[in-house]
Amino acid sequence: MIMMWFCLCPLFQVLVIGDLGVGKTSIIKRYVHQTYSTNYRATIGVDFALKVLNWDSETVRLQLWDIAGQERFGNMTRVYYREAMGAFIVFDVTRPTTFEAITKWKEDLDSKLMLTNRESIATVLLANKCDQGREVLTNNGVKMDQFCKDNGFVGWFKTSAKENTNISEAANFLVKHIMATENDFLKSVVPDTISPKLNDSQPGTCSACYKS
Amino acid sequence: MDSVPVEQKDPGWKLFGRVPHRDGSVKDPHKIHKEYESKTSRAGPGHSPPSPRQTVRKNLDFEPNSTTALILEARPANLPAKPAEEAQKHRQQYEEMVAQAKKRELKEAQKRRKQLELRCKVEESIGNAAQTWNQEILPNWSTMCNSRRVRDLWWQGVPPSVRGKVWSLAVGNELNITHELYNICLARARDKWKSMPTEPVTEGSSLADREASLELIKLDISRTFPHLCIFQQGGPYYDVLHSVLGAYTCYRPDVGYVQGMSFIAAVLILNLDTADAFIAFANLLNKPCQMAFFRVDHSLMLTYFAAFEVFFEENLPKLFAHFKENNLTPDIYLIDWIFTLYSKSLPLDLACRVWDVFCRDGDEFLFRVALGILHLYEDVLTRMDFIHNAQFLTRLPDHIPPDQLFSHIHAVHMTNKNRKWAQVLHALQKEQEWISPVLKR
Repeated sequence: MIMMWFCLCPLFQVLVIGDLGVGKTSIIKRYVHQTYSTNYRATIGVDFALKVLNWDSETVRLQLWDIAGQERFGNMTRVYYREAMGAFIVFDVTRPTTFEAITKWKEDLDSKLMLTNRESIATVLLANKCDQGREVLTNNGVKMDQFCKDNGFVGWFKTSAKENTNISEAANFLVKHIMATENDFLKSVVPDTISPKLNDSQPGTCSACYKS
Repeated sequence: MDSVPVEQKDPGWKLFGRVPHRDGSVKDPHKIHKEYESKTSRAGPGHSPPSPRQTVRKNLDFEPNSTTALILEARPANLPAKPAEEAQKHRQQYEEMVAQAKKRELKEAQKRRKQLELRCKVEESIGNAAQTWNQEILPNWSTMCNSRRVRDLWWQGVPPSVRGKVWSLAVGNELNITHELYNICLARARDKWKSMPTEPVTEGSSLADREASLELIKLDISRTFPHLCIFQQGGPYYDVLHSVLGAYTCYRPDVGYVQGMSFIAAVLILNLDTADAFIAFANLLNKPCQMAFFRVDHSLMLTYFAAFEVFFEENLPKLFAHFKENNLTPDIYLIDWIFTLYSKSLPLDLACRVWDVFCRDGDEFLFRVALGILHLYEDVLTRMDFIHNAQFLTRLPDHIPPDQLFSHIHAVHMTNKNRKWAQVLHALQKEQEWISPVLKR
C-alpha cells in the first residue's frame, strides 16, 4: 500500500469548479467511489479525491480538487489552481444562473493558469443534473458546441451523478486532452528550455531558486 | 491422599466422562498449557520456559466455559465397578472442579457488576456536574468562572443540559444584541425574501444580493448535518436555521452569508433557543479570527496560518518538515476546520467539547486543537504523501477517541521562545511583509 502511494506513474491535478450546489462533490463521489447520496455536506475550502486509471496499459492517477463554490472564497481557493493540468467546470441544468457563471469561472481559471505555450489547460464543461428533465439549456447541442468553441472548452457532457450518466466518459475525454496537451507542451518547450536559464543564471545568484 | 492437588495428577474424571466432544473444553488448563509448551519447544529448540506470570495469563486465556455443566455420571454397568476409594477420589475431584468453575463465574459476574457500576458512575458524574454547574457555578458566574476547579470541570466537557447557557455566558454579548433586535432583523429578512423573485436572482444583481439570496442559504441549509435529518426542508429546524442565517445577513449586510456559517448556526441552535442562538452567533462571528475568515481577508488569514506554523514546527518538527516537503500547506486543512469550528470535521459530541473550551479560550484553542489532531495522528501522517494526507485531514476518521484527542490537545505547548499565541500573532501581523515560507507562492 505504501509503495503505491509513492509510485511514479503520471499524476494529474484536476480541478472541479463551478457554482455552489451544482453537484461537484456528487460527481467526484460517483466517479471515484461509485456512490451517490443526497446527503453530501457543503464543501468548505477544498476536498480531495484520488482516482487511479488504467490508460493504454499505463497507470494514471488523477488528483481531484473539489473546490468550494461560493464566489467569496475565490481569493482563497485560486491559489489551488496553479498546478492543475485539467479542469471540469460544472453547472446545474436546472439553475440558469449557474450556467451564466460558467464564463466567469473560465475567465478566472485562464487568468490564474496558463501552460508555458500560452494555451489554457484542458477544460471540460459538465451540464449536471440532466436527470431532472429540465435541460432547456442544453437541448440545443449545436449552440452548446459553439459556446464551448467560443469559450475555450475542449468539450461538454450532459451528466448525472445520480444516475451515473457520462461521468467516466467525461473524465476519459479530459484525460485524453491532458495527455495530448502534455505531449504538445513537451514538443513546444523542449527546444528552448535550456538557453533562457543559462542566460539568466549568473554566478552568485541563489541556486535554490531553480530547485523548486 | 486427599490433599494432593488435582492438577498434578492425571485427570481421572476423563475416564467416566461420557461426552467426548466436550473433552477439549473440560481439559485441565495446566495440562493444555503443558501440551502447548511441549509443542512450542518442539517448534523452537532452546525455548525458555515462560515465567510464572505468563503461566497465569495462559491459564486465563484457556478458561473453559462449560465446566459447571459437567455432569458426574455413574459408571456404565458393563464395566467392572470402581474400588470405593477411587470412586470417592473421583467424586471429590469432580466437586472441586465444579467449585472452581462456580468461583470463576462469580468473579465474572462481579466484573460485569463493576462495569455497570462504572457506567452508572459516569452518568452520575455527568448528573453531578450538571448540578454543580446549575447550582454553584452559573449563579456565581463572574466570580467562579476563572477558578481552578471550574476550569478543570470545564476541560472535562460541559454537561449537555447546561452547555448552551455556558457558551452564551462565555461568548458574552459585546454587541448588546437584544431579542427585539433579532426580531427586527428577522422581519427585515422576511420582507426581503418576499420581494425577491422565486426564480434565482438575475444577472444584473450585485454580488451581495446574490450571496444573501434565499436560494444560496436554502441550498446550504439542507447540506448542514444532513445525517441528522432535522435541518432539511420539512425538518423541524429548517426554518429556525433559515431565520438565524437570514437575520444575520440583515444584521451584517457587509458580511452576508458565507459558507460554513450554516454549520456554526446549526450547532448553536441545537443548544440554545433561536434568539439566544442568534446572539451567540453574531458575537462569535465578531471575534477577530472569525471576522478575518468570514470576510475572507486573505492576508490576515495567511497571518493566522503563519502563526499556526510557528507552533506546528515547535510542537511537531518532524511532521512539519514532512508536510513542507510534500507542499502540504496548512490552509488546505485549516480552512475547513476554522470556518466550521470543527463542527463539520469532528463527530458532533466531540466538536461540542471543542466548542466548550473554544468559547472560554478563544481562537488560540482552535489552532491548539488542530495541533492536537496532527499530534494524535502523527505516525500515520508522516507515512503518507500529499494526496493521502490531504484526503485524511479533510475527512477525519469517523471515530476519534475523545479523551485521547483531548490528552493530545493538552500536550500541545502554546509557547514559542517565551511568546504566547497572541504575541506571535501580533508580531506576525506587524511584519506586514512577512509571508509564511510555505505559503509563499
